[in-house]
Amino acid sequence: MKTKYLYKAVTTALLLSSASVAYASDASTLDVGRLAISGYGDVGYTYQPNKKDADGNDIQNNVVARFIPIFLFQMSEKIHIEAELEFAVDENGETETVLEYANMHYFFNDNTIITAGRFLLPFGQFGANLHPSWINKAASNPGIYGGHGGNGSMGGVTGIMNDTGVNISNTWSLGDAGKLFTDFYVVSGPRQEAGDHGGGVDMDVKKGDNNDSMALGGRVAYAFLPQWEIGLSYYSGAYSNDGELDYTAYTIDFNWIGSYATVRGEIFGSTAGTEWEEEVELPDGSEVHEEFLQDLNKNGFYVQGTWQARQLGKAWLNPIELVLRYSKTASDFDGSISHVLEEDGGRMGSRIYYGINYWLEPSAVLKFGAESTSIDNEAASHDPIADDRIFLQLAFGF
Amino acid sequence: MKLIKLVLPFIIITVSALTLSTFSVSAQAASDGSLVAKGAKLYSENCGRCHNPRPAEEYTKREWSVVMPHMRAKAHMTGKEALAVEAFLASTLTADIRDDDHSSTQDKPQRTGEELVTVFGCQGCHIIKGEGGTLGPQLDTTVADKGVKFVIRKLLEPTFNNAASAMPRYPMSTADKQAIVDYLKSE
Repeated sequence: MKTKYLYKAVTTALLLSSASVAYASDASTLDVGRLAISGYGDVGYTYQPNKKDADGNDIQNNVVARFIPIFLFQMSEKIHIEAELEFAVDENGETETVLEYANMHYFFNDNTIITAGRFLLPFGQFGANLHPSWINKAASNPGIYGGHGGNGSMGGVTGIMNDTGVNISNTWSLGDAGKLFTDFYVVSGPRQEAGDHGGGVDMDVKKGDNNDSMALGGRVAYAFLPQWEIGLSYYSGAYSNDGELDYTAYTIDFNWIGSYATVRGEIFGSTAGTEWEEEVELPDGSEVHEEFLQDLNKNGFYVQGTWQARQLGKAWLNPIELVLRYSKTASDFDGSISHVLEEDGGRMGSRIYYGINYWLEPSAVLKFGAESTSIDNEAASHDPIADDRIFLQLAFGF
Repeated sequence: MKLIKLVLPFIIITVSALTLSTFSVSAQAASDGSLVAKGAKLYSENCGRCHNPRPAEEYTKREWSVVMPHMRAKAHMTGKEALAVEAFLASTLTADIRDDDHSSTQDKPQRTGEELVTVFGCQGCHIIKGEGGTLGPQLDTTVADKGVKFVIRKLLEPTFNNAASAMPRYPMSTADKQAIVDYLKSE
């Protein structure tokens, strides 16, 4: 039912965009270029005294380096092309190459942008805008996120990051009352992982769609700049090969920006339909085999605060920034459902990160951080370990 | 649920109507003389939502013209707003407004401190005489608190006391710097 609202919202947004006559026809005051390369990169050292490899040997440090160029190409005033590649040397010394996104923006009119291709999904703020290491104030990702450098012992409850499809973005001015941002998109959607009981939901889509049902999503945000932005995102798509099992998720993101401090975070929830089966004992003592569908829920939140020491007015403190972040995740896999699937459910718990950043340039930062994780469902792993980590990371944007 | 279904298109239509009614104001602002100041304010408000604003000198004007559409999409800026930001960036990178002590522009009429503050869009990031942005510190008491030498050096070399400062470096004459200091000192 909710997807019908999305369809209607997308249709309405398209119609209204078509009706708008306010074109950005004024000329740019800049010399018009064709190509620019920007991007970011980082090199990080992680000290994790309790980490063991598969043979039980100590793995007490990891050094990871990444280089992520963004290629920007301006075909015309209306059409802009962008692509981001990630080159990374992982903790095993192997080079990984990932196409983060490759898409075309069509600037339809003054307030409407149509994006086609592979793009970062406007689902919350972290995945879309805040994950680049020189922007992410911490050296690790919020506990609700998996991927993008891994998340240690926590499972991560959302992997909604990028996908292939079409997005329509609008900016609605409310005058002195602020702005409204809307995004609505249609993308390939999640796939079904191999495994028992329908496997799991694979958000890391690289092979196109596996069924004839596209995923729909959107974000509506209110911004009262420069201080506030609050957004609500929704995502829904069938993930099983037969299109019968759905995955839906929402997140509420908030962002407060002060002159010296920021507070931001996300509240996330998701539901995945899964296939289950069990033997049911009848009154006469016999057993019958029953198959049924059951929703599994995952949710969590993170909140992060930063403070710039330049508020104290001491020149030597100007480059210093303090970071504090708390994340918590919960799931039906946390023990409330007794099933072998629990082993595959990832670990749920809470995580706290303390960090101190030293800014070398507006887009270059040296981060020193410590992170401690408490796992609620230790049984959800074959090798329970304490997960305390210390980070040293140099991140830069260019 | 039916109520939501019924009301959603009307909400969007209402918001759209508000948007269209305010577009005429945006279009006028795009062609008036305060475009740079408007761009500075937008630069301060939008860049800082996600990351430290980056000094204009990090890219050339040609590069900025390609980077700005990318940032317009990221920040949900309108086309008019992006043009205003481009005007601000251009103002910091355009040679003909660079008025250093060795240039031939010494012969240009001296602008007042108030004019210079407007031209350079200082209030995009700083509160001066009760108006302006909050990205940087308010400047009404800066001269009294930190002294003339500090302000002159900050105008000459914005990152000397803060490596992460996004303040653009505006080459300007000694007379320009003094005019700005005098303006900041005035009640």
